[in-house]
Amino acid sequence: MHDADPTPALAISRRDVTIWPLAVVGRFPDDGLVYAQIVLFDGFDPLDVIAPFEVLAAGSDTVEGALTVELVSAQGPRPVVSGTRDLVLHATAMLDPSKPGYVLVPGASGPIEGDPDEVDTIPVLLARFGETAAAPLMREAMANPDVTVATVCGGSLALAMAGLLEGRNAVTHVLGLDVLEATGVNVVRARVVDDGDLVTGGGVSSGLDVALHLLERSYGPRVAIAVEELFEYERRGTVWT
Amino acid sequence: MDLIGDWDVVIKTPIGSLQILYTFTDDSGALTGTATGKGETVPLHDISVAAQRVTWRQSVTKPMRLNLDFDVEVHGDRLTGHSKAGRLPRSAVTGVRRQGRIS
Repeated sequence: MHDADPTPALAISRRDVTIWPLAVVGRFPDDGLVYAQIVLFDGFDPLDVIAPFEVLAAGSDTVEGALTVELVSAQGPRPVVSGTRDLVLHATAMLDPSKPGYVLVPGASGPIEGDPDEVDTIPVLLARFGETAAAPLMREAMANPDVTVATVCGGSLALAMAGLLEGRNAVTHVLGLDVLEATGVNVVRARVVDDGDLVTGGGVSSGLDVALHLLERSYGPRVAIAVEELFEYERRGTVWT
Repeated sequence: MDLIGDWDVVIKTPIGSLQILYTFTDDSGALTGTATGKGETVPLHDISVAAQRVTWRQSVTKPMRLNLDFDVEVHGDRLTGHSKAGRLPRSAVTGVRRQGRIS
């Protein structure tokens, strides 16, 4: 509207022109419900899952349930053992790449050092993701124009190892940046990298920022800020777009 | 140095040891090669031989997507050296010529 006007009134008017397509569409039952599917796999990092789960769930409450947040796995409903002290989270459905919305892939947690022939190090766990049913499902999700794929921490590396991020702009945990580059990804050093239908985050805590960015993209800054206030957390850094 | 033939090679990578079959061929005077691992065969690019040293490049997708640069030395029926993916640490490479041919 008045993008050159730097007065406080602008902030309000800019908020007013913010498009809320998902929220509006989501108010019509069975017509455009939006899903956030968070993909659990063996050895996942719990915080990579819980941070965006909580943020997206709070965002869903703010938009009156227009967003359905669920934990899924490539194998269907099952208890999935994380890489941190065997903490278990339950996937309640199978990953469905045809559902519109977000598919979010967390990273893995586990040993960094060790002989990979003997120990399930983080790279081993991430590479294993690409050898499961998750890889073809994620390929479908990435090909679906109604799906935005998001990752936290090593999640981008898991997709890159499976050959799904060729030539894309992305970030991962700082310890994985060199591997990410070797897979043919254009590595960007930002906390959150928005490459259109692919949004990647850096190390574990960036899952908060990734999810808040998704909320802002879909529902506008008011929703993202409401969740920030509720969580007493503020995003940091500049999102690369 | 005679590189032509089949080589059983082990590459120690960050995701575990890989067993790869390399085949080097003399294609009308030009040296060509392929690498066959679990699930795929890929061509070798920019093969260069200088005395005992051989270098080449290859892109693999299994078990993970990687662009690799190889640098090995060949002595008789054995080769040793490393492969490198971008700025990652070197991965040790060792190989032996597959027997069954007369050279």
